[in-house]
Amino acid sequence: MERSFKAEVESLRLGEGETFHGEGILAVTKALLQSGVSYVGGYQGAPVSHLIDVLVDAKPLLDELGVHLETSTSEAAAAAMLGASINYPLRGAATWKATVGTNVASDALSNLASAGVKGGALIVIGEDYGEGASIIQERSHAFAMKSQMWLLDPRPNLPTIVNMVERGFELSEVSNTPVMLELRIRACHVYGRFKTKANRRPQFSRHDLIERPDFDFSRICLPPATYAQERHKVEHRMPAAIRYVAENRLNEMFPGDAGEIGVIMQGGLYNTVVRALHQVGLADAFGRSRIPLYVLNVTYPLIPDEVAKFCVGKKAVLMVEEGQPDYLEQAINVVLRKADLQTRVHGKDVLPMAGEYTSETVLRGVAGFLEKVAPRNIDVARATSRVKTVDEHKAQALSLLGGPVPPRPPSFCTGCPERPIFSALKILERDLGPTHISADIGCHTFSTLPPFNLGNTVLGYGLGLASSAGVGPSFNKRVISMMGDGGFWHNGLTNGVASANFNRNDGVLVVVKNGYSSATGWQWLPSSLQSRSAGPGGMTIEGALKGVGVKWLKTVYTYEVSKVVKVLKEAMTTAERGLKVIIAEGECMLAKQRRVRAEDAKKIKAGKRVAMPKFGVDDQVCTGDHSCIRLSGCPSLSVKENPDKLRRDPVATVIETCVGCGNCGEVSHAAILCPSFYKTEVVYNPGALERVLDGIRRRVIAWLATPEAIPTPALPGEARMAEAAE
Amino acid sequence: MAATDPRPVTLMIAAMGGEGGGVLTDWILTAAHEAHLVAQNTAIPGVAQRTGATTYYMEIFPERMPDGASEPVMSIYPQVGDVDVMVATELVEAGRACQNGYVTPDRTTLIASTHRVYAIAEKTAMGDGRLDTTQIETAVRRMAKRAVLFDVARAARDNGSVINAVILGAIAGTGVLPIPAETFERAIRAEGKSVDANLRGFAYGLKAAKGDIVELRPRAAKPAAATPSEVLADFRDRVVRDYPQTAREIVLEGAARCFDYQDAPYATLYLDRLDRIAAADKAGDGTVTRETGRHLALWMTYEDVIRVAQIKTRTARLDKVRAGAGAKPDQPVIATEFLKPGIDELCSILPPVLGARVIAWADRTGRRDRLHLGLHIRTSTVFGFLMLRLMAALKPWRRRGYRYGVEQSLIERWLRAVEAAAGRDAGLAREIAECARLIKGYSDTHRRGMGNFQRLMDTLVEPALAAAGDKRPDFYANAAAAIATARNAALADPEGQALTRTLDQLATARA
Repeated sequence: MERSFKAEVESLRLGEGETFHGEGILAVTKALLQSGVSYVGGYQGAPVSHLIDVLVDAKPLLDELGVHLETSTSEAAAAAMLGASINYPLRGAATWKATVGTNVASDALSNLASAGVKGGALIVIGEDYGEGASIIQERSHAFAMKSQMWLLDPRPNLPTIVNMVERGFELSEVSNTPVMLELRIRACHVYGRFKTKANRRPQFSRHDLIERPDFDFSRICLPPATYAQERHKVEHRMPAAIRYVAENRLNEMFPGDAGEIGVIMQGGLYNTVVRALHQVGLADAFGRSRIPLYVLNVTYPLIPDEVAKFCVGKKAVLMVEEGQPDYLEQAINVVLRKADLQTRVHGKDVLPMAGEYTSETVLRGVAGFLEKVAPRNIDVARATSRVKTVDEHKAQALSLLGGPVPPRPPSFCTGCPERPIFSALKILERDLGPTHISADIGCHTFSTLPPFNLGNTVLGYGLGLASSAGVGPSFNKRVISMMGDGGFWHNGLTNGVASANFNRNDGVLVVVKNGYSSATGWQWLPSSLQSRSAGPGGMTIEGALKGVGVKWLKTVYTYEVSKVVKVLKEAMTTAERGLKVIIAEGECMLAKQRRVRAEDAKKIKAGKRVAMPKFGVDDQVCTGDHSCIRLSGCPSLSVKENPDKLRRDPVATVIETCVGCGNCGEVSHAAILCPSFYKTEVVYNPGALERVLDGIRRRVIAWLATPEAIPTPALPGEARMAEAAE
Repeated sequence: MAATDPRPVTLMIAAMGGEGGGVLTDWILTAAHEAHLVAQNTAIPGVAQRTGATTYYMEIFPERMPDGASEPVMSIYPQVGDVDVMVATELVEAGRACQNGYVTPDRTTLIASTHRVYAIAEKTAMGDGRLDTTQIETAVRRMAKRAVLFDVARAARDNGSVINAVILGAIAGTGVLPIPAETFERAIRAEGKSVDANLRGFAYGLKAAKGDIVELRPRAAKPAAATPSEVLADFRDRVVRDYPQTAREIVLEGAARCFDYQDAPYATLYLDRLDRIAAADKAGDGTVTRETGRHLALWMTYEDVIRVAQIKTRTARLDKVRAGAGAKPDQPVIATEFLKPGIDELCSILPPVLGARVIAWADRTGRRDRLHLGLHIRTSTVFGFLMLRLMAALKPWRRRGYRYGVEQSLIERWLRAVEAAAGRDAGLAREIAECARLIKGYSDTHRRGMGNFQRLMDTLVEPALAAAGDKRPDFYANAAAAIATARNAALADPEGQALTRTLDQLATARA
């Protein structure tokens, strides 16, 4: 990738007793090395991309330790890698974004969990839930329960997170079970510190090789071994895990004087709960709470004895559990029923079933709980009034603002090579009418947002083409499927292209090739021009497509909008049957700018000729119709006050952030919009000849120029005002 | 657990992608670290680099913690009513912060930029979709305990700095965080990138927050130097003599525009035409005359290839292009124009009979939308410039072109309607005059606008005027309202779907 993580890599080298400062996900990375992992694999995705990105840059350190890093092409591949820990005492970790990544990985995970592990296997999942999430809203908890893997949900502070990584490996080994460590977005990005330990060289690694393969049929996922494995899960692994968690006190209990009630929470929500209690005067800034707290740093399995111990003698407890279904609340009710304890369990009755538990949500939940239970010696009114104050603040703001402010949906960046594809599709729509578009996952999913509003379904990563298989045959024109180069290599080649060809699909596939896994932070792909080992990865999308029998294959450069329109139209209308694939090529502009800006600056400094492009709009020619913006949505293409006295509607304008990609000019050309756009290239360090020529040209042009407009004479009153102002 | 409990000082930053929010929080963390304070930051960068809103939330515990003491529990979420400093790098984002409850009068110091980054819905409107932000500005001032509002983007630009450095200065200047300004400066130095530029921005922000800088307002355009202009003086005198005060400025501008566009007789034609409206509007306050004058001038100076070439080949425009590109005087600037003339553009300058025939042929064979000549003209070269300049030189020929006749007869049709209405009802006349606003843009856009305009004339305007003398009360008011509704519908979507719907509804209502 184009970004460098040099500083982050340094912090991975910290030794015994030093202090680490940094983000949560980086702390996890450091903790993996402290735990002596042999191998790490993963697939990028917010909020855990950094783990792999930083390790890629940490190659020398990994080489020293003998740790193998795999930048997997999908979560399934990353999960399958954990198979190394089934037979051998190798500690390993895999990471991805959840729940989507876990969905992809679950085939391997089920098998892994059934076989069980000898070496510790840790899965670090970035729980992309709530504000800022880019995926469907589901819980990872279900995966833990169905496959019997343990789920850690540590308090969002670095020492706890790091401790849970280290304990997670031990837990995995004593219970022969893979362990998932769940981190929410804010926890991944939380900046804090912890005391480090020295990195540990793994027992077996590239430096210390395994000599004999281990064959043990009981670890093969075939009957009858699978029956034994299931029994082993319930008879051995679960009890061992419960014992370990309880003995090592991975869950935490904090006492309080209001012992009549209690709050149970997922570890990740601890800080939010404490702050809510602080707000209503029931805790201090250091977490000393008047209400006893039971913090589940391990949310699966529950430890029945601990739950019972916490609840005994309590009138009621509040279960703070984010997401749905309410697995924990149900499980706690079961524990209490079996223990014959009469403690009432509140949770989803005072907290919302769906959605992120922000501080406001939790505050409302705590207040609702206190109101329902009305415990002795607790100032319930204070909580109630705090909630009321929140409501009043918001109501006041809304009434002063006169209504909600307009949303600001994400969109393609300035200069994005994907924008022109959708501009072209919009232009094509005028000609052929709209058709069904199966969108895919990636930056290009933003086509479904304004101003394009293109894309009728999104079914999953790399599944754009596959998701058109059913609708295509029933549609009155060819349907279009989108796929990014990320999705292509993730599974689109097989699930999409091979399947489409196998089934004689007659649709159109647009492969958006920007050279990176851009949406997740510019990781390299098999078809990138670069790879971890420098130089290209040696795989091409064209080659792969031909290999699976694609006959109709065209490559277009996305910024040439007219050509994109032409090729799309051809694909839509040709008599040729079979899958038609268009590779729409253009390097991710953010990545390109990162590189090119530095190069240009260097060249200018060195006295070399550089022409810096930018676009402009003639504000006298623009009539303020804004078609150009409707067909582009570029952040650098904006509007400004019309300088013309006679006109009122704002005119289009290109702001400083323009990188000169040329899309606005090309769109205006392809859609025949208007002659307002022009491109400028400012030449730095021009050669002697160019300078002389420029001088001559400028003189001739000045002489040729059309005479200026005669200024409008001032009206009598105006003239006096102008004089007074002088 | 009294109210005097120590609590973390909280800071929330609502930024947009690319504004350096990450660096800003790093500076603050470095400064807090140097001040031996426990600080925590978290972010929702989500789709940050992709232009979406990005928020950072930070807590700093104001007391030094002795080694080994239990640490405060920091929240990773901001709380309504508990934000000490709210930063918004754009005005509507400040509004959003208020809407979400993060700016409260008892606690929050708000630092916000007054500049606008328009949301997509504001930009894509066919007319003017921009939000009126006066109310937002008033609201955020009312909601904040203290509001530091200034144009941060401009401050950064003027000081050769970046938004995040100016913001850091402003944060330091409010004095709410338990960290002195010098410590922040040291953090900038420690980071070591673009130190001077960042320190300049920091210093400005610091002063702005301390109230040492009078708030920046957009520079008001200086009134143009009143060059006495013999040529236009007659028109000025005529306007002053014949037109009400309210209309003069626009009418004179319109006459000057027609003069620049064609010649003195054309400007005279403009005023002659407008005289009719002024006469019919005598009883009114001049608004109808002014608004008709505005649209008449714009219509009479319709943007044909000659006009576009004229504008693009003027020295003032060339200077503007250089300035927009940010070129220094000695730097060559390569300028490329994106032009795509087609059948319409060609016919506009052909003789009427020929032009009409070609258009008819093109329509018949479906070539009108298909035949175009895509040109990338380099106007920084003599040859490229000359091409445009010769086009501009066709000005005298314009009257003999096909389009001239077409436009003039449509103008007359519209003008007759406005005139007829002006004699009866100023409100109706005003709405009819406004319909000319639909006609703008080029090629397809222009034709679409023209089509919508004619639909309005056919279905609403002319029938209303034909029913002259209708004695029903509110007849004119209803007609005016219908026209306004349909016109707004025509501006709602480029495909004209809303217009069709609206016209259908109006027809049903009448039936």
